[in-house]
Amino acid sequence: MNIYDIVFYLFAAITLVSAFFVVTTRNIVYSAFNLLFTFFGVAGLYVLLGADFVAVVQIMVYVGGILILILFGVMLTNKITNVQIKTGTLQVIPAVIGVLLLAGVLIFKVFLGTEWKSVKTDIPVKTTAFALGKLLITDYVLIFELLGILLLVVLIGAATIARREK
Amino acid sequence: MQDFYNILPLILVASGIVISVVIEILSDNSEKILPWFSALVLLSASVYSIMLMNNTGTIFNGMLATGGNVYIFHFIFTIGAMLIILGSIDYIKKYGSYFGEYYILILNAVLGMMIMASARDLFMVFIGLELMSICFYVLAGINRKKLNANEASLKYVLLGAFASGFVVYGIALIYGTAQTTSIDKIIAGFVPLSHNILFITGLFLFLVGFSFKIAAFPFHQWVPDVYQGSATTISGLMSTGGKAAAFSVLIILLSAVAPSNANVFRPYFAVIATLSMIYGSIVAISQNNLKRMLAYSSIAHAGYMSIGLASGNYESIAGIIFYLAAYTFMNIGAFIVISMIEGENDSKLQLSDYVGLNAKNPKLAALMALFMFALSGLPPFAGFFGKYYVFISAIEANLTWLAIVGVISSVISVYFYLRVIVLMYFKEPETSVAVHNSNYGVLAAVISALFVIVFGLFPGTLLDLITSFLK
Repeated sequence: MNIYDIVFYLFAAITLVSAFFVVTTRNIVYSAFNLLFTFFGVAGLYVLLGADFVAVVQIMVYVGGILILILFGVMLTNKITNVQIKTGTLQVIPAVIGVLLLAGVLIFKVFLGTEWKSVKTDIPVKTTAFALGKLLITDYVLIFELLGILLLVVLIGAATIARREK
Repeated sequence: MQDFYNILPLILVASGIVISVVIEILSDNSEKILPWFSALVLLSASVYSIMLMNNTGTIFNGMLATGGNVYIFHFIFTIGAMLIILGSIDYIKKYGSYFGEYYILILNAVLGMMIMASARDLFMVFIGLELMSICFYVLAGINRKKLNANEASLKYVLLGAFASGFVVYGIALIYGTAQTTSIDKIIAGFVPLSHNILFITGLFLFLVGFSFKIAAFPFHQWVPDVYQGSATTISGLMSTGGKAAAFSVLIILLSAVAPSNANVFRPYFAVIATLSMIYGSIVAISQNNLKRMLAYSSIAHAGYMSIGLASGNYESIAGIIFYLAAYTFMNIGAFIVISMIEGENDSKLQLSDYVGLNAKNPKLAALMALFMFALSGLPPFAGFFGKYYVFISAIEANLTWLAIVGVISSVISVYFYLRVIVLMYFKEPETSVAVHNSNYGVLAAVISALFVIVFGLFPGTLLDLITSFLK
C-alpha cells in the first residue's frame, strides 16, 4: 500500500461517511454541511484520477455554488431549520431483499467478473483544461451549443414555475 | 454547407425557439402570434424532414444522423406537436393559465425529441433526453393553481431525475468498457463487447432508464398521475412524442443486434412487454376518468411496441416505427377531443360525461369513435396494422407465445375502448346541454383522423418506405 492508495481510501471514506449522514440526519443544516464533505471527497477522487479540471469545477460549482445556495435557502426560509425531515423507511423487507440482490449481483458477478484494465502511469502533471477546451470547440462543438439551449430551457422553465401569476 | 442543409429541420426548430423568446419579450400581442408562429415553424420543419429524407448520412463528426428513418421520426414529432399546438389555442384559455412559455417549451421539447432520434453519440442521446424531459416537467405543472398539476409535475421531476440517473450510470459503464461514446463504434464492436458483464450491466441500466420514459410496466407508476394532472394537450404530447423519442433510441440499440441473432435484450423486453400489455389493458377497464384510462392504455401500447424490441429483427424495427406513427396520430387525436369536451377545473373528464355525446355534438362523437376504434386495433384503421406488423415480427422471431399474449390483451382492451363508443351513441343523455367545440381543435383532430385513415388504408406505402431505409 503506497501513499496513493492511502489518500484514495481517505477520500473514499470521507465521501461515503458524509453521504451516509446526509441521508440519515434529521436536521437540514447538518445535511447541507455533510454534503460539503461529500463534494469535497469526490473532488479529491477526481484529482487522484488526474482530472484536475473536473475537480476544480466540482469544488467551484458544487461547493461554491450549489451548497451556498442551499445554505442561503435555509437561512432565508422561515422556520425551515425546525422542520423534521422525514427519513423513515417504508417497506423495509422488500427493500432489503432488493438491495441485497442487486449488491450481490454487482459485487460477485460484475465487480469480480470483470477483467479490469489498469494502466500503470504517474498522475499527469500537465493540466487537462487545454485539451478539454480544444475538444469542446472542435469534436464536441454541437454538444457545447446544445448545452447552451439546455441552459436556456432551464432558465425559462425555472422562471415559468417561479413567476408571478397574471 | 451541405451538413447544415441536411439538418435543416433541427435548425428551424432551434432558431424558432430563440425567435419565440424574442417575440414573447417584445410583443404585447404574443399570445396571438406565438401559437401560429410555432405551428408554422413545426410545419416547415416537418416539410423539410420529408424533403430531406433521402439525404442519409452522419454529420458533425458522427454526432447526428440525417435522413432515412430518423427523419420519419422528425416528421412524427413535428406534425404531432403542431397538432397539439392547434388544439391548445382554445384549450389553454379554458385551462386557466396562458403563458407564452407554453409554446416555447413545446418547441424545446420537440427539439429534444429530434436530437434523441438523430443522436449517434451517447452524449447526444442524454442531452436530447434532458432537453425533452425538463420541458415536460415544467409543462406538466404550467398551471400552479391546480393541486393535481403540481403533484404531476413534482412526481414526474423526481422519478424522471431518477430515471435519468440510471441512463447516465449506464452510459458511464458503457463508455468504460467500449472506450467510446459513439453509437456506431459501439455497434461495430457489439458482439465481443456483449460478453463483457460490465458492458451488459451498463446496457441494462440504460434500458431501465428508457423503459421509464416509454412507460413500460415496472416503471409505470408515474404515468396515470402525470397524464391525469397535466394539461390534456400536454398529456397528449408526452404520451406520443415522448414515447416515440425514447423508442427511437431503443431502436438504434436494436439495430445493433438485428443483423446477427445476438439479441441479448430478448428476455428483458419479452417480460416487460408481457407485463405492460396485460397490466395496462386490465387496469384500464376499471378507470372512470378518460385521461387515466388513456394513460393505462398508453402503458399497454408500450407493451405492444416492446414485443417488437423483443423480436429484434428488421421487420420488427419497421413495425415499431409504423406503430409509433399510427399511435401518435390516434392518441393525439383522442387527447385533443378530450381537451375540447373537458370543462373548467378538470371537470367533464369522467366516462359519464360522454353519455349521449352524439346527440350533444355529433362531430366530436364521430371523431372520438374513430380514435377509439383505431386505438383498440380494429381494421381498417392504422392501429390494426401497427399491431399486425409487430405481432408478425414476433412470430418470425419464434416468439409466438408473445404474439398470442398480445392478441389476448388486445381483445381485453377492446372492451374499454368500445365502452366509450357505446356510451356516446347508444345511451340517452341525462341533460341536453350542448358541448361546444373549438374550430382549431376540430381541425387538429380531423388532420389526425386523416392520418389514421390513410395509414390504415395504405399501410404498405409507409412500411415499404421505412423498410427501404433499413437495408
